[in-house]
Amino acid sequence: MFIEYSEEQTMLHDSADKYLRENYSFENRQATVKKSRGFSAEQWQMFADLGWLAMTFEEEAGGFGGGALETMILCEQFGKYLVLEPYLESVVLVGGLIAVGAQPAIKEHYLSGLMAGELQGALAYLEEGNVANPHYVETKAEVTGDGYVLNGSKAVVLNGPEADMFLVSARVGDSSIDAKEGISLFVVDKSRQGLHCNNYKTYDGRSACELQLDNVALNADALVGEIGNASAMAAPIFSRAIVAVCAEAVGAMDALLEATVDYTKQRKQFGQSISSFQVLRHRMVDMYMEIELTRSLLMATAWKLDNGAEDAEQCVAALKAKVGKAGRYVSHNAIQLHGGIGTTDEFSVGHYFKRLAAIGVMFGSRDSHLSRYMQA
Amino acid sequence: MTEGGFRHEVRKFLAESLTPEIKRAGELMTSVFADFDATMKWHRILHAKGWIAPDWPEEYGGTGWTLNQRYIFQEECKLANAPAFPAMGLQMLGPMLMHHGTDEQKDYYLPRILSGEDMWCQGYSEPGAGSDLASLITSAVRDGDDYLINGSKIWTSYAQHSNMIFCLVRTSKEGRPQAGISFILVDMVTEGLKVEPIVGLDGTVEQCQVFFDNVRVPAANLLGAENQGWDVAKSLLEFERGGHNFTIDHKKQMAKISKQAASQQDADSRLWQDNPVFSAKLADVAVDALALEFTELRVKGAFEAGGNAGALSSLTKVMGTEIGQRFNELSVEIMGEHALVKQLDALQPGYEGDSIGPDCGLTTMAEYINNRASTIYGGSAEIQRDIIAKRVLRL
Repeated sequence: MFIEYSEEQTMLHDSADKYLRENYSFENRQATVKKSRGFSAEQWQMFADLGWLAMTFEEEAGGFGGGALETMILCEQFGKYLVLEPYLESVVLVGGLIAVGAQPAIKEHYLSGLMAGELQGALAYLEEGNVANPHYVETKAEVTGDGYVLNGSKAVVLNGPEADMFLVSARVGDSSIDAKEGISLFVVDKSRQGLHCNNYKTYDGRSACELQLDNVALNADALVGEIGNASAMAAPIFSRAIVAVCAEAVGAMDALLEATVDYTKQRKQFGQSISSFQVLRHRMVDMYMEIELTRSLLMATAWKLDNGAEDAEQCVAALKAKVGKAGRYVSHNAIQLHGGIGTTDEFSVGHYFKRLAAIGVMFGSRDSHLSRYMQA
Repeated sequence: MTEGGFRHEVRKFLAESLTPEIKRAGELMTSVFADFDATMKWHRILHAKGWIAPDWPEEYGGTGWTLNQRYIFQEECKLANAPAFPAMGLQMLGPMLMHHGTDEQKDYYLPRILSGEDMWCQGYSEPGAGSDLASLITSAVRDGDDYLINGSKIWTSYAQHSNMIFCLVRTSKEGRPQAGISFILVDMVTEGLKVEPIVGLDGTVEQCQVFFDNVRVPAANLLGAENQGWDVAKSLLEFERGGHNFTIDHKKQMAKISKQAASQQDADSRLWQDNPVFSAKLADVAVDALALEFTELRVKGAFEAGGNAGALSSLTKVMGTEIGQRFNELSVEIMGEHALVKQLDALQPGYEGDSIGPDCGLTTMAEYINNRASTIYGGSAEIQRDIIAKRVLRL
């Protein structure tokens, strides 16, 4: 395995970096966070116009055929500039699942809408009973003459308040409550009767909701993939999503290290720049080493996923566990070295920290992935 | 009274006096401060009972308890979820007034701290003077019987709730930077003084910046002599370091995390307490916390024998805060995505609506976020390590 970016991949990296550097300032981002919507529709439209939203879909679906590596390249830049727009939720998760499993008419409708920046999605798969286990599904889907009726509730549906449609996991039949088998996935339009959202903000400045489904009636074509087979269908999409958030984490850690190095050079105490103190220099070196180790694991994992390597799944678990550790080490020390101002809402450092904390708990925390790594 | 008898009496009092609202405020603490109104209600209840300042000598309004009884009282209060009190008046300024104050100052200020009539904040750090506190530049210039103060103080906890601030100000530029600093007590309702809140990472305000624009303060408000402020502050800083008992905090954290681990499940649908990776990490922190507990007992023993903790108080500050942060991280691991939900309303003790997710995870992310500051304030972990290096290892 040797990773060398293609010309197209290098261009994607450079253009994403350039666009965001010139058009995505921290100040504008913070102004957006304070608005009720929590992300910028103009930015999202630009992401569509730049082709980013279509990057990872197949060419026959109107995309550019990119894989985990392209996802990684984009998300790393999103992390570096603390991008709020729901690329992960709408494109990687919902788009990814629709692309592999939705019925043709629905697939055509949603993918073209997503890629054009006109539609947003949210994956409603967690439940309050056990958010650590995606197979914990109490929500029921009853088979009717011409479709399904869904009942249940979903927890922490990221991007739920912005979504035009949800992908909802539910059990058909009577498999046990946390069995891997027996889960199905359904497309549910937000306008469906019986759907209730309880919206809120998350600590990292985004939006989410709890979703209640009371006798939500769906047509037969709402089913995504085969009945009872959602876990197997979703596994590769979750792997892709883990690469996406881990790439975001690497971008965020890069930004934190850069900010910390700059700050410690400028900040003077005891008559000298605090960057001259060896204990702080070594701390920053350790931050750097954590980031580079994580980056290597990230690149290798993305490559292995794109190339169907046998140990790709084990690398995904290793990557998420490593990001949990490195994300904490780097963000905690970035705050520590900034001192008081690192703990304020006004300064960017704390917002990177909160995003890394959020990434830390998404798709399984560090301890879950350490266990998964040892089991693999 | 026997230890057991004393503990029983304290428990009985707490059971009778802690109203559900006050208790809820203690449960919902996400930093060293609890909801302000509930805290003040609790302050008045303890003041009426005569138990507001167990650490003070009896002549100033203390309880006359032994060190052990004071420890038991603190422990019972915290485990019963009583709100903690801001340290600035009772724990910091109070003892300094006793040591350095004139009789007039003691007679006037100490009872007002006890009653809660005065709420104090601490004006030490400045934008350009943090770890290097002695480089502070906020100036006090003599003008007749007054000083005129100009400059600004930052990281002033609870300034928005305070009516009084004690400050370190520069009264001379001669000699070592430490030699030209004075300690002065300032009424915050004075012309030219302005408080600006600083929003923290959890979206709430605990810190402020305080601006002084020709603020006129009577010279009689100096604590200690002019240019002797550094010595006053130094003893206060040591009080801030030595005065905190981390073990009780850790016990509360351990109780909380045990509850979480006994109710929340991992990816394999096991309770987290049965997850071997998590259990090993929790045990690792718990063992460090136990070792710290015995270290704090050694410190207490040294106090009882009339000695002082020396640099052991820097050790307990470093290890106490870092262990606390590790507990926070483990809580976040357990609560998973539930920890993402930001619901500041539900963190108010009087909140009557529904909250989202399990109650045991309501404070998790805010605690994790806010506790990052614990290794920064009150002398950062790096400064504390320097103190140990110099004073203990003579490096």
